[in-house]
Amino acid sequence: MIWNETKECMSRDQLYNLQSARLKKMVQRVYHNVEFYRKKMQELGLEPGDINGLEDLHKLPFTTKQDLRDNYPFGLFAVPQSEIVRVHASSGTTGKATVVGYTRRDIDIWQECVARVLSMAGVGPLDKIQVAYGYGLFTGGLGLHYGAENLGATVIPMSTGNTQKLITLMQDFGVTAIACTPSYLLHIAEVLEEAGQIDNTKLKVAICGAEPWTENMRKQIEAKLHIKAFDIYGLSEITGPGVAADCEFHKGLHVYEDHFIPEIIHPDTLKPCKEGEVGELVFTPVTKEALPLFRYRTRDLTSITYDKCECGRTLARISRFKGRSDDMLIIRGVNVFPSQVEAALLEMGETSPHYLMIVDRINNLDVLEVQVEVEERFFSDEIKQLESLTKKISHVLHTALGISVKVKLVEPRTIERSQGKAKRVIDRRIIE
Amino acid sequence: MKQLSVFIENEIGSLAGVTSALKENRINLRAIASFDTPEFAILRIVVDQPEKAHRSLKDKGYVVKMSEAVAVELQDQPGALDGMLQVIAASGLGINYIYSIVIRDGKVPLMIIHTDHLDKTAAVLKANGYIVAEQEDI
Repeated sequence: MIWNETKECMSRDQLYNLQSARLKKMVQRVYHNVEFYRKKMQELGLEPGDINGLEDLHKLPFTTKQDLRDNYPFGLFAVPQSEIVRVHASSGTTGKATVVGYTRRDIDIWQECVARVLSMAGVGPLDKIQVAYGYGLFTGGLGLHYGAENLGATVIPMSTGNTQKLITLMQDFGVTAIACTPSYLLHIAEVLEEAGQIDNTKLKVAICGAEPWTENMRKQIEAKLHIKAFDIYGLSEITGPGVAADCEFHKGLHVYEDHFIPEIIHPDTLKPCKEGEVGELVFTPVTKEALPLFRYRTRDLTSITYDKCECGRTLARISRFKGRSDDMLIIRGVNVFPSQVEAALLEMGETSPHYLMIVDRINNLDVLEVQVEVEERFFSDEIKQLESLTKKISHVLHTALGISVKVKLVEPRTIERSQGKAKRVIDRRIIE
Repeated sequence: MKQLSVFIENEIGSLAGVTSALKENRINLRAIASFDTPEFAILRIVVDQPEKAHRSLKDKGYVVKMSEAVAVELQDQPGALDGMLQVIAASGLGINYIYSIVIRDGKVPLMIIHTDHLDKTAAVLKANGYIVAEQEDI
């Protein structure tokens, strides 16, 4: 079902006009309320009146994650504190989180977008949906939660961590839909399979996201659980999950362009890519009140098509992601930068800062192992001290990254030093 | 008595790596003991030339620590080790680890004992009639 046919199926011309009008208003609002952007525009010799429509979008400066960090926590907010009704945050590379804020209207738009996603996946008021993303500062849990409530579905706020309970409630309540990471869903499928319960649920649809996955993985999930699986994309800087999602034809993810204007650029030259060409995805959330960002660089690599989809939607579609233009890893739905590991080890000061991150998917769950070289001056000849060092490193990394980490002490100089940039990550997960 | 502790990973050939470094430098091993965990191990060795062994292992890139331990002569009769351990326990000392030197040119074996208080351990053993060996005794 199409949740908002007026917006999702409007002609490209109408959409262009809507985006232009919204962009114009956004620039006015930002210029007068956010000092950071006002200065940037002044440096570029830009005035709000210079942006008259979508054709002028390219004149605006880009925004990066670093800009959010530099203005931590609320420096880029465009409304007074009294209008902010919620904040979310994701972990940052140097301990500082990326903080995002929402006005009541921002929350409304977000839950409208998630309702569109769920509706596109065939979820409706008669469905019972388990939201098995983390609830809290992470946008996954609450984002899906409010969207599903908006749709009128019965929401079961599972959060993460207790697979057995999730399965029990899935069976007892007759759950028909689930929202979680694709790898977690495969794990659930495996647990069900082992218990001989795979056909003993009423599950019919899954909305998966927060980590990269493949078309093959989607088909594997569908075949194992006899359900339909859909891809949902989003990032907290733009709003959270619900920026884009795929329809039943699975030919790319529809971007809710009436709220989030997409661009694809060459990450090196910053020039626009041609339609269909792979580049970095950039978003301008034109209706955002609390945190309106100009041309936010997502670092996600993809391509875009503006062809009308078989489903009837006229919204542009982005292809499955081809990777990132930076070194960010997504492990169990959590954004992890290698520099966070380095910073944490240096701060702790009890090991050498040489490390190697090995990411693997074991029983469909992402596992992060961090190998750390033992250093002469911290070497004790007692096992118990080395073991407590291992535990301490693992605790420090868990705190810094927000995910549990298996620490392995290795002999000095066994971690490869390459010329220039060292190889810090081995990702053994098969994502193609 | 000097011993060397070497950090090694639980990998195929990791022990052989240490012994080949010693062989290259014509160092004679007197005792060897490995204390392992699932991920790594500490190899403890007593050699005829501890300083040279320390240097050559370090040059090979190993993390090595030279430390002291108490070496006590052990008579070849039932209950000999038990008697020694009873003496140590009775004086309130906890043993961190223990291993032995068997090859000693016809002399009795030595037990290598590590505690948090090495001087006191040696003194207690001597007071109870045990023979504590020095570096040159091996």
